[in-house]
Amino acid sequence: MSDFSTGAIVDDDLDLSAAKGRSKSHEAVAAKTAAWGGKGLNAAIGVSAVIMVAGIVLWGVQLSGGMVQTGMRNLSSWGLYITSFMFFVGLSAGGLIISSVPKAFGIAGFGGISKVAVMSSIACTVAAIGMVVVDLGQPARLWELFAYSNLGSPLMWDIVVLGTYLILSCVYLWAQVRADAGKVSHTALRVISIVALVTAVLVHSVTAWIFGLQQGREMWHTALLAPWFVSSALVCGTALVMVVAIALRRAGYLSLDQAYLVKLAKLLGAFVVVDLYFFGCDLLTEAFPGGSGAEVVAMLTAGPLVPYFWTEVVGCALCAVICFTPALRTNALLVAGSLLAILGIFCKRVQLLVGGFQIANLDYAGPLTPMQHTAWDSGLSGIYGGMVYWPTPLELGVTLGVVALGVLVFLLGIKLLPLRPKDDEAPSE
Amino acid sequence: MSGSRYGFAIDTIRCVGCHTCSIACKIENNLPDDVIWNRVLTNGGASMDTASGTFPNLSKEYVTVACQHCENPACVKVCPVGATFKDPDTGAVRQDYDKCIGCRMCIAACPYTGVRSFNWDEPTHSIGFAVGDTDAPEHQKHTVEKCTMCWHRLARGEEPTCVEACLAKARHWGDLDDPNSEISKLIASREYKQLLPEEGTKPSVYYLV
Repeated sequence: MSDFSTGAIVDDDLDLSAAKGRSKSHEAVAAKTAAWGGKGLNAAIGVSAVIMVAGIVLWGVQLSGGMVQTGMRNLSSWGLYITSFMFFVGLSAGGLIISSVPKAFGIAGFGGISKVAVMSSIACTVAAIGMVVVDLGQPARLWELFAYSNLGSPLMWDIVVLGTYLILSCVYLWAQVRADAGKVSHTALRVISIVALVTAVLVHSVTAWIFGLQQGREMWHTALLAPWFVSSALVCGTALVMVVAIALRRAGYLSLDQAYLVKLAKLLGAFVVVDLYFFGCDLLTEAFPGGSGAEVVAMLTAGPLVPYFWTEVVGCALCAVICFTPALRTNALLVAGSLLAILGIFCKRVQLLVGGFQIANLDYAGPLTPMQHTAWDSGLSGIYGGMVYWPTPLELGVTLGVVALGVLVFLLGIKLLPLRPKDDEAPSE
Repeated sequence: MSGSRYGFAIDTIRCVGCHTCSIACKIENNLPDDVIWNRVLTNGGASMDTASGTFPNLSKEYVTVACQHCENPACVKVCPVGATFKDPDTGAVRQDYDKCIGCRMCIAACPYTGVRSFNWDEPTHSIGFAVGDTDAPEHQKHTVEKCTMCWHRLARGEEPTCVEACLAKARHWGDLDDPNSEISKLIASREYKQLLPEEGTKPSVYYLV
């Protein structure tokens, strides 16, 4: 950390205390800059800390009173936590990829948002790990993952890759800060960015394999799942970077040429189209033989998951239209389109998770108990008639707490770390 | 019994759907309230004990479903800590409650819907005290469990309790690898089906038809 501060003083922009002296070169945004590290940010940090603490308390309630307080049961054994886990792993992609691709390939980047983008990746990765932890029945036995690792388990792969990804994101951020201070060579930065990029692609593939390698769930078991996870991650990750960049520019944290946003929008549009294309390919391959795969398609397009399916398709399509139509690329619409894409990808995660449990392989009538499903007393038709899973308020509260943890990490990064772009930052940054 | 593969043959023609195996299992293993490892399902109408079709062309069959103790178990591969594992001597798929971290990866992996059970609450017993075999492992909150093939009985050289309890003598248990065992002869001489053979899990439970 002492290295950080040295760099900060040398660069005059990299300011750990944030409230202290500001760079003269930032006079253009000086008026707004004064607010940085001020009341607004502190209040936001305070609010997210309070929500996070409330989430921890609710997690305590879940552990002591039992997970019977959640909407999960044997027939729908994962829920909002694992949905959000998938979602946040995806969100974490964008920042790192947006930041590392230009560096890795030596092409023009996206202005000064590189460091902020990686910070958003770190925050999302922390939230993703948090989601897995609150989902565990026995979090006190987490150490066993390292003592008794079954390296054949996709979940174990994910833990290894996600941990590496988090550490690597931090190293990458540190290297960028040091490079700004002239302490890390561009070659070194380029090498780190290539490694980070490979890890980012791996982290999404491995998360997909948690689901995609399970032959017992019709909806999950497809080779397309890993590339599709990467494309979805690129969609919501890029959208998040767009929203964050516009918000921070508006707040005066950084100045960013509109041309970079246009470039980002075109990229987002391309990612959205690829993601929808994958979805179309998958639906066609499932439905065409007319066998059990047709059930999956019917569940999405006409069954209990209809709202999520259409929100995703329409939201992503609208986002693509906004991104590809020059006249529509206003700040407000770009933010709206990005939020639609993020919402759409969240809906995709819901479809995927719930869809895995929605179709039972053995659907013979038999004895049902409250351990098998919350709607056990309404029979199989009651269980599978609607969505097989719906979260309880407790789950929503704990999830909100983990999200607040991610927000807190991001805001603390903004406040304490020197993430703002250098003024003389070349477009090739 | 080293290196054997033990399994069940269940005679669906003899089975009367009385749930005795299910209850015997529940008592033997001291299963908590609302937990059933061995369920008697009706392959027929929409509700239990109903037939499908229209009179006089009706069909109804009882399928008792517990862990299939697969030769190629999906659950064992995905458990990150090896809490669910295949016993090398008997081929039984076992579960170590002390190790289980409660991630429920195995429930997601198992194609046999509802076979694996998670203790969503502190295990309780409606009669207020533990019943069953003293060797049956204690149940733990927030861990996954399922049929153990009565591992504690196997270790003493006994057969699983559901087989012993079956009133209709519909349940058979034995070494599938030994061609001279009673169960191997039954499977060789009778027509049988297995649950979800297309999943490639190679279940060790045969339903004689």
